Amino acid sequence: MIVPGLLASTGLLFRAHVRRVWWSRRALACLVLAAAPPSLAWLITVSNPKLTGAAIATTFGWLLLLQVVVPLIALIAGSAVITEEIEDRTISYLFSRPIPRAAVLLGRWSAALVFVSALLSGSAVLTVAFASRSSVPGPPLDGGILAPLLGAAVLGGAVYTALFASAGVFFRHPMIVGLGYAFAIEGFLANLPGRNQALTVQHYLRSLVVSRGSPPWLEVETVDASIFQPSDAPIVVLLVVIAAVLALASWRISRREFVLSA
Amino acid sequence: MTPLIATRDLSRWYGPVVGLVDVSLALEPGVVGLLGPNGAGKSTFLKLVAGEIRPSRGSIEVLGRDPFANRAHFAEIGFCPQQDALYGEMSGLAFVAFLLRLSGYSARDARERAARAMERVGLADAMERETRGYSRGMRQRTKIAQAIAHGPGFLVADEPLTGLDPIARRGIVQLLLDLAREGTSILVSSHVLHEVEELTRNVLLLHRGRVLAQGEVPEIRALLSRHPRKVEIRARDARALARGVLDLPGVQSLRVSRDGASLGIETFDLEGFLAALPAAAARSRAGISSLETPDAGLEAIFDYLVA
Repeated sequence: MIVPGLLASTGLLFRAHVRRVWWSRRALACLVLAAAPPSLAWLITVSNPKLTGAAIATTFGWLLLLQVVVPLIALIAGSAVITEEIEDRTISYLFSRPIPRAAVLLGRWSAALVFVSALLSGSAVLTVAFASRSSVPGPPLDGGILAPLLGAAVLGGAVYTALFASAGVFFRHPMIVGLGYAFAIEGFLANLPGRNQALTVQHYLRSLVVSRGSPPWLEVETVDASIFQPSDAPIVVLLVVIAAVLALASWRISRREFVLSA
Repeated sequence: MTPLIATRDLSRWYGPVVGLVDVSLALEPGVVGLLGPNGAGKSTFLKLVAGEIRPSRGSIEVLGRDPFANRAHFAEIGFCPQQDALYGEMSGLAFVAFLLRLSGYSARDARERAARAMERVGLADAMERETRGYSRGMRQRTKIAQAIAHGPGFLVADEPLTGLDPIARRGIVQLLLDLAREGTSILVSSHVLHEVEELTRNVLLLHRGRVLAQGEVPEIRALLSRHPRKVEIRARDARALARGVLDLPGVQSLRVSRDGASLGIETFDLEGFLAALPAAAARSRAGISSLETPDAGLEAIFDYLVA
């Protein structure tokens, strides 16, 4: 018997939860949300013959997928990472094993990340696929449309999931805290003119899309390319945010007690 | 020898709610029953012992260690929590094996040990089924299985007999007695006193977060000398027997039932009374058919202490 270290126990918890995460009411809610952008893209191609496929893909990708669906799915899945174990009162079993407590956060976050990435990738791909059904001539729906949307959705899912999973370590009601953060604070700051936008995740996701995307992305109504970060900078910033947030939450979970009702 | 548990001024509160107050004690290895009514502080004490929560004030050491979030501590204890919760979509076997993997066992060893533990708690036939389909008693036994599967030297069990049917209950009591014989120290809580009495005579009584008494049941009983002991006798002629025992040692009161078939006696000198009773019964020709001392058990001791 060798007591597992952080990596080994994270792996064990990931494997145990990566299947569980698909079978819950939260998963169903996420699935419905992920289906919204492609469903609306399909509806528009059917009902509005004036829009090009590129316009439909970029508009729904930008306004709906990145700004609403990504944070919401990440909120639902991320806030459950620790909270679900507390609400189900099963965290006692994990915290009475000789593993680093941080493994519970990291293992379950990794499982949630797989789930969120799969849903958001599917949503992005299907949104572009349905948009391509438009018969209006326009710019090609190629990799310049899909790749940045896919990358921003997955990276956004990762960073938001890390943020909301960590909120579960610090707060009793991470869902409320997360809703406030994603839609009140970020929603406000990300739409202010000037440098304040750089304080939001949304800013870096938009930067990623604009810096890597093809010209149709610049035609989305709210895009002002001059304020965005160049090329690789958004990726680096977002990866640093993920690492920093998880490190802080790992430190906290190792010291915090979780009082369960009987 | 290092005490199993040593506390000094151990207190724990949850906001304004007091869980435990100024508990200072040392428990030696063995089987200890933690007794008290609901809200006495039993679960709080067990969570502190299991390292799930930390004291608000004072200190606790379990086998010489601070238990809170202590990995070395978790390698040596088994914890059966009170809450009725499992991973519903896992089978009982998979659940116990998963927790064994977290204790450091290989996949094969974990599965073998989990199967043995499930057999030991009487769930061999159901261990491949999802736990969401288990009855409360089966879930309770699965919780015990996960607590003993890694062969801990110290088992902490919070109300482990709750929800069990009489046969399963007898099985778990026997399992705990077997574990104790094998050298496992056990701290087991219950608010049903006779459950603990079946497991051990070494008890810790809690009430409103404070230690009411600690030690062997007879020692605690001896502390209660201000209370007379009760003797219930069934006899063919209880009235005649009442006349015959009236002058026996320490008799304080007599009560004959309306049907004249039973006699209730209170005495401060139980041993002297019982020694003199046969001669008195023979003289009165009362025909004794049964005799009980109903307040020798923990239930009565607890009633006396909290009164």
